[in-house]
Amino acid sequence: MGKYLFKRILHGIVSIVAVVIIVMVLIYSLMNRDKIFSSDGAIIKLGSNEKEAYRYSKWEEYGYLDYVPYAEYLLELVANGELDEETRSHAVAIGRTPDKDSEVAQEYVEKFTQLYESQGYTVVRLPAKLQGNRLVKGGMQQLFAYRDRPLASRVIKYFTSLVTFDNIHYVKEDIGERGLTFTLHDPLYGGEKFAPAIIGNGTFHKYLFYVDGTFPYLHQNFATINLGTSYTVNRGVDVFTTMGASQGPYVLSTITFPTGLTEESADDLHTATYAAGSQSSNAVNADRFTDDYTNVQTVKGNMSKVGFSFVLGIISSILAYTIGLPIGILMSRQKEKLVDKLGTFFIIFTIAVPSLAYIFLFKALGSRAGLPTTFDLSSNNKLMYVLPIISLTLPSMANLMKWMRRYMIDQMNSDYVKFARSGGLSEGEIFTKHIWKNAVIPIIHGIPGSVLFAMTGAIITERVYVVPGAGNLLTEAINKYDNGVIVGVTLFYAVLTVVSLILGDVLMATVDPRISFSTKDR
Amino acid sequence: MDHDLKNLGVPEEKLFSFHSHSDLESEKITAPRYSYWQSVFRVFFRNKLNVAILSILALLIVFAYLYPVLVEYDRFGQLLNPNAKHLSPSAAIQQFGFSIHWILGTGAAGQSTFDSIWTGAKISISLAFICAAINMTIGVIVGAIWGFSKKVDVVMQEVYNIIANVPSILLISVMVMLFSATFWTLVLALTITGWLSIAYFIRTQVVIIRDREYNLASRCLGTSTIKIAMKNILPFMTSVIVTLLATEIPSYISSEVFLAYIGLGMKEMSLGRLIYEAESAMVTPGWGFEFWSPVAVSAVISVVLYVVGQNLGDASDPRTHM
Repeated sequence: MGKYLFKRILHGIVSIVAVVIIVMVLIYSLMNRDKIFSSDGAIIKLGSNEKEAYRYSKWEEYGYLDYVPYAEYLLELVANGELDEETRSHAVAIGRTPDKDSEVAQEYVEKFTQLYESQGYTVVRLPAKLQGNRLVKGGMQQLFAYRDRPLASRVIKYFTSLVTFDNIHYVKEDIGERGLTFTLHDPLYGGEKFAPAIIGNGTFHKYLFYVDGTFPYLHQNFATINLGTSYTVNRGVDVFTTMGASQGPYVLSTITFPTGLTEESADDLHTATYAAGSQSSNAVNADRFTDDYTNVQTVKGNMSKVGFSFVLGIISSILAYTIGLPIGILMSRQKEKLVDKLGTFFIIFTIAVPSLAYIFLFKALGSRAGLPTTFDLSSNNKLMYVLPIISLTLPSMANLMKWMRRYMIDQMNSDYVKFARSGGLSEGEIFTKHIWKNAVIPIIHGIPGSVLFAMTGAIITERVYVVPGAGNLLTEAINKYDNGVIVGVTLFYAVLTVVSLILGDVLMATVDPRISFSTKDR
Repeated sequence: MDHDLKNLGVPEEKLFSFHSHSDLESEKITAPRYSYWQSVFRVFFRNKLNVAILSILALLIVFAYLYPVLVEYDRFGQLLNPNAKHLSPSAAIQQFGFSIHWILGTGAAGQSTFDSIWTGAKISISLAFICAAINMTIGVIVGAIWGFSKKVDVVMQEVYNIIANVPSILLISVMVMLFSATFWTLVLALTITGWLSIAYFIRTQVVIIRDREYNLASRCLGTSTIKIAMKNILPFMTSVIVTLLATEIPSYISSEVFLAYIGLGMKEMSLGRLIYEAESAMVTPGWGFEFWSPVAVSAVISVVLYVVGQNLGDASDPRTHM
């Protein structure tokens, strides 16, 4: 079993990598790059050469290519000490056309071109656009180099930075003595309460391990998962954080900051991360923090995107199984009678009617009945969960009914049932002790999938009822060309699929001793 | 016996005559004439419900294809008439006089809802049939090969694992971006990986019956693989394929509606697009008709297609031909 599982997991990882590669090819190579500007208000104001340079800088931000303007290259030289400020100011002033360059400029333009062309970049020089003797709007001369990110390095970079480990050499600036301190009494709780914590200096996170009152109670920051940084959906934040961060109104509580200042705040000091120079440059931070670990997340009163989707999904899954399976069994026992016909009608209804149509139907019926039809993060009304749960439950219930009925009827005609009947067992006994046990095995295979995929949410249901769940993340990212989020969400889905298939097989093998995956056991 | 014949007084030559032996005749087995497809339709039409549903389907299709040809539909014909927008059926009839155009009221641009839904139905039905035809053809052929060859199976399993994990919404939106949102782009987007799940389903069915004894016997007798596939396997699969078709066709109408709703639909006024554009009208009192009419039509078309397909699938199972 162990060897088989190992093989399955390996296969799963290979297909996950392949999926990510395909998605990267789709979004970085096939999609039209100009589309990202279709809703960009800034580009309309730019003209001519400036517009061209702006396009490349945006493409770099969206992750399509590497873009180096000439001025940036010179600044880097200054930072490395290879160039003094005086020469830089001369070198940066390139002429309107290449032949009008000053000697210093010529020398550095030559260096710039040589360096980047040897690395496979394309160097672009746009001469100034003139109208008579005057520059047209945005017609300043431009010099930059760009290179499309090669697929191989993109994939390797993505997978190697998937999990990052925090270390005490993260901070580049001088920060005093680097190291980790273990304490049994977390200073944030006043330093007297028993609460183990590991605090770092020089690391990205201040608290590498801590205990608090929210799920999962023990938190660690040694390893961080980066699925992909968002650009438009939730700017600068990783997909994983976007999916898992709490939403809704701020929850204020009395907080004592490291400087001793006490105020009502929603800041979660355990989440503090390093931001260079942030303490001295910001008066608000200077009042509160004693070091540069000032970047904190806030506590909000409601569940995360995944949280909402999961709660809705798991409740509807449980309902679908507890209602759908008994009805399916009843339909098979009363085959071709009223219950069976009503059930079949219901199944046909959910399969044939477009899902959008019946979700709207439920919404209309629900609003007649006085149920809330949209989600409101600030209210605590539990009734707003009712309609989304009904909309999610009925189709999956119909599906379970359909298959349960099918499997039961298939089993009813098998020889062992006839044997049991001839042995004098009652119909009830045959159903509960023999048929049910055999028919439910293929159903069990789907349970891990329905639990795990509850997290991904349902696109239409969440849109119609305005649920702040994870279901819309992918469509939103596609609409906003947020490539990092698309890749991240796809990876998340692919991992869930692989895991749920493997878990399904394992569960099936545990329930049914006849099923074995290793050849030796037989 | 011998004794009785002698008592009849008839000479033996008159009682019996020699008959020539024919190899061909001796091989014949007497059985009632059986034609597969004739029996399928006999069983199908025996059920009066099927006849009724089939005539509804025929009516819907004729209406969807003929009505837009006969009636010129101009979506923005009444755009400048402020009194023509979002009318309920009774208000529209009051305003324009009774005509078939106004029995469902008007939409956001003052267009006739009745005309819109039939123009939309034509596009949606076409899309469903074309996609189903392409996907089923490719899916069945690939699935049959996939099920037969163990080498192909190893490769295709991996391909399936990978492609099935690429989000279809992403694929479709890339297609829409690459080739602009037209009818044929959507066909391409729905078929480019759509055949894979059908092929997988057919593969499983082929694997189940591939190693049955009668196929083994055929192989031992030297029947070629193609003949086994055509004569032994395919007839067994007909009912499965028809049943699958019954779920496939409505599923394309449903996914077209879904795609239009999330903003990835086509430019043409399909049923999905009508529903998407009239979404705000659902909750506005008095505007309900322009939303519920396309919903109802798409639901009716899907249900009718599904029921016809399911019953045809039942009828194409030879065990029901008794």
